[in-house]
Amino acid sequence: MTTPKHDPLADFPWPKPEVPREEVSAAIHSACTKNLCPVKSMSAATRLTLCLLLSSFVAGVGYWFGIRHHRSELGLRTGVYGALGWAIVQAAVLFIGFSPARGRGTLGSRTLRLVLAVALPVLFLGYLTYSAWSYVPFAEFSHGARADHAWSCGLVALTFGALVSGGVMLAWRGTDPLTPRLSGALAGLVGGVGGALAVGIGCPSHEAWHLWLSHGLIVLALGAMGCVVGRRLLAP
Amino acid sequence: MTSYSGTLWPALEVARLTLERSPSLAESTSERLMESYVDGEVDAFELLYRRVSPNLMGYLLRLTRNRERAEDLLQITFSKIHRARGSYLRGAPVLPWILAIARRSFLDERRSANVRTEDLSPDGSLPEQQNEERPLPTELSDALEMALDRLPDNYREAIVLTKITGLSVAEAAQVLGATETAVKLRVHRGYNQLRKELEQYSRTP
Repeated sequence: MTTPKHDPLADFPWPKPEVPREEVSAAIHSACTKNLCPVKSMSAATRLTLCLLLSSFVAGVGYWFGIRHHRSELGLRTGVYGALGWAIVQAAVLFIGFSPARGRGTLGSRTLRLVLAVALPVLFLGYLTYSAWSYVPFAEFSHGARADHAWSCGLVALTFGALVSGGVMLAWRGTDPLTPRLSGALAGLVGGVGGALAVGIGCPSHEAWHLWLSHGLIVLALGAMGCVVGRRLLAP
Repeated sequence: MTSYSGTLWPALEVARLTLERSPSLAESTSERLMESYVDGEVDAFELLYRRVSPNLMGYLLRLTRNRERAEDLLQITFSKIHRARGSYLRGAPVLPWILAIARRSFLDERRSANVRTEDLSPDGSLPEQQNEERPLPTELSDALEMALDRLPDNYREAIVLTKITGLSVAEAAQVLGATETAVKLRVHRGYNQLRKELEQYSRTP
């Protein structure tokens, strides 16, 4: 006959929470309540709306650019429809990625946000590939007027994307001590998509290499930059 | 251990009496208290502090293994919370938010301590390392504290957050920046190690 094995963890005397010394508590109390006044804490919905407004403004600039450079009406209309579709995706990513429900259930969970951070650029690159009407070999693309156009388009997309990413980070500044790098990456990706779409409205090119490099690569670059900057800006 | 009802702290006594008169605030969730604190209510801060500080102090104490450092970090954490209260997302879980700020403060402090230069003794030599011999524990709770101290940092943190601070595995994973599976694994391995240590303790006469 064997005796049941005693499990010392079964009735564990786990340590009780510790109360700080009175002097420490008094110092904290004094520092945190001296001249305490209400501060404006924006709701997630307000921050989301501000980000979408900024994205719309950048898309508007792209539209204006397209009109100035006599882009065809059909091209402009297609670009605007594409931007509207992606605005819904961006809103969903911002809502899930930066929702206050972080840590509660599936919505806002780290895994779901990681999936979003991978899925967003993959979907966007897929969309660009679908939108490409023509293909020239890379050797031909990398020289002459095509390359110059790709450079200028890429720089404008980068500027627009950085503007939107910066806006998203400012709107959500200091809100995420838990996963600031991941949130930063999401902010960069959303901004990159916003910038690339704004340029896409005004850009007449439908060449695959142009779309991948000048519009798509920007999204990945801004996602990586957001990951670095997010650690500083998004953590309190 | 000190209590809050001492006479050294008249401001808190006043706050306590005020809170007794307003039970609705006292029954609020930590999230609601944080929102009231953001709105400038001193009483809400007092209640929130009373509710959160023991858990936070326990967590910091087990991270630093030094009471003075833990109290310094507690002050740093609350000053960060005070400065960042405007960026608190209304409705977001408060305890993981605060614990994550505390953890980052600890990591920043440890990083700066690693590059701090060593003070030389008056004759210009490096101070000798002192080996502190801790007495053998007489109580199971002391043995548990010592066993917890001996755990690797990541196991100890996972156990402290889930077992002592009372976070769910999902919330602990958020604070630690890890997946839930990783936290469960750390807790399980930490338990096994603690069990071994405590079995040794129970065998000693």
